[in-house]
Amino acid sequence: MRTTIKRLNKSLLATSIAFLLASQTASAKSDDMNQVYQDNCASCHGADLGGYLAPALNSATLKGRSPTAMRTIVLAGSFDTLMPPFYGKLSDDDIRGVLKHLQNTPKQPNPAWTIDDTKKSIKVYVKDESTLPSKPTYSIDDMSNIIGVAARGKYGRGEGSKAVFINSKTHQKIGEVHTGTAAHIIEFNPANPRWAYVKTDTAEIFKVDLYSMQVVRSVKTGFNGPGIGISRDGKYIMAGSFVPHNATILNADTLEPLKTFELEGVDPDGKMVSSDSGMIVGTPYADIFAIALENAGQVWVVDLKEGFPVTKIEKVGRHLHDAFLTHGGKKLMIAAYDDNIVAAIDLEKREIIKKLDAGCVPHVGGGSAVVVDGRTLGFGTNFGDCDKTVVSVWDLDKMEVVKQIPVAGGTESPAAHANAPYVAVDIISKDRRARTVQLIDKKTLEVVKTLDVGGHAYFPEYSADGKFLYISAGYNGDEVVVYDSITLQKVASVPMESPAGIFSRGRVKYMTRGLSPDEIGQSK
Amino acid sequence: MKITQLIVLLAGLLAFASSQAASPYAGQVKAGEVCAQCHGMKQPGVGSPFPPLAGRDANYLKTALKQYRDKTRVSELMNNIAGSLSDSDINDIVSYYSNVH
Repeated sequence: MRTTIKRLNKSLLATSIAFLLASQTASAKSDDMNQVYQDNCASCHGADLGGYLAPALNSATLKGRSPTAMRTIVLAGSFDTLMPPFYGKLSDDDIRGVLKHLQNTPKQPNPAWTIDDTKKSIKVYVKDESTLPSKPTYSIDDMSNIIGVAARGKYGRGEGSKAVFINSKTHQKIGEVHTGTAAHIIEFNPANPRWAYVKTDTAEIFKVDLYSMQVVRSVKTGFNGPGIGISRDGKYIMAGSFVPHNATILNADTLEPLKTFELEGVDPDGKMVSSDSGMIVGTPYADIFAIALENAGQVWVVDLKEGFPVTKIEKVGRHLHDAFLTHGGKKLMIAAYDDNIVAAIDLEKREIIKKLDAGCVPHVGGGSAVVVDGRTLGFGTNFGDCDKTVVSVWDLDKMEVVKQIPVAGGTESPAAHANAPYVAVDIISKDRRARTVQLIDKKTLEVVKTLDVGGHAYFPEYSADGKFLYISAGYNGDEVVVYDSITLQKVASVPMESPAGIFSRGRVKYMTRGLSPDEIGQSK
Repeated sequence: MKITQLIVLLAGLLAFASSQAASPYAGQVKAGEVCAQCHGMKQPGVGSPFPPLAGRDANYLKTALKQYRDKTRVSELMNNIAGSLSDSDINDIVSYYSNVH
């Protein structure tokens, strides 16, 4: 009897050891797979498995999906999306392992990223900035002629991911900086033409010296989120994240974080929510930042003075995202995806002026406003897939809808220029229409021409003088195509890997694309 | 030969000719949809394991695509992808890539 118990104990012990070991390897395996995910997938699908540019991948969203079908997508990529092929990049074991891990793992809680994390993340590439050249090391008439392109690279990370800078008079590349992960937004310092700031999909911000075309410093303010703005004096940057739910004000010179704001508030339905950061904008009219709290539906106005006090404007709309300025920067037009409106906000009085119909899931991109026959007209794109796809035109003086112009599909970003006759909108509906950009005549407010740009054409942008229209041929295009803005003839092509957003330095002169530089004068 | 017969014959010939004429423009569209994700429109992504197609010999490209389609050359990925291509798709794609420099 004794021996039996002993034996039983022994075997029990052996079993429990084996069980322990097995569960340890299982969790070690899961940790490894999480690492594979973080290193290859998280910049698009979210560090918390909650999605970002690309869909959420977790036990809830992947429930019932066939591992074989998913493996094919990972191996070959997904056509007409940014999803690259991981054949040859990841082993078959890793692909199967990471898919299993994702199908068994729920969306993770919002991970912390504190002001100390931000401080510790600062990297200095050029210690003594006085050693930098005092003027551009290349020939250029005016720094406003610089156009920056966020070249994502096929994998959204690695050697292919860069910010590429082009002289928009010659259409020649003048420099590029590597960004590690996909560049998303490029902002230009309004007070000093030498500095640009590039924000990546993983919320790293690179301070770029445009004179010598190199990175001087970088900082990481979170895990993702496109929001970044610069104050009118060029002294402050504010950057906001989706993961975690915060925004940080930084010294634009040193990139030292000065204050972090936890983004939460009562949403338009009366519920207290934690919120992603939407657009952040500095304005030429005052020393303030305006930031949209996407889920809380609020706009906060932050004064750039001691303590950075906040004024909260509530009930602006459901799911706020992007916005543009008008009237010398005193008014902000902000899109609300779920209400299908654009809310006009008076930044001086810090209140809502009016809500205007804006089509189906309004996404105004960088926005556009043009003065036509004495009226200031705003143009808003919409990326929802609805029966009726329109571009909304508003009279920004009277704050009323002028027209909703039928276009070929969903649109993401309008471009206008005071000297160019057309407002360009990118059709993004997922079929051959995605190759095209449509041109709206500023005066007649009708679509007058459709350009087949190739690839997944998006993010049109005019050169600072308005003479040229730059368009990303995007993924499956691998070039930026340049058109004469009046004849609409193709004049140049600048090859690069998977180009996306295009940002003219001219934007700092005209505040919102399409306005004359005099518009900013109104604020002074 | 009756005139109608002649017209039918001519129309047939024209249709035949146009179905055989490879279009680099149609090829560019098709390549963007089917090939560029891995091989790029001009070159594959930096650090990617895929061979470039741009500027390659037209006969080589055509033979390889047909072999992949007919599974006489075996590759899990390429057999799937090329399997969806018609002869004229292949001609168009080849005419695009072989003319990119």
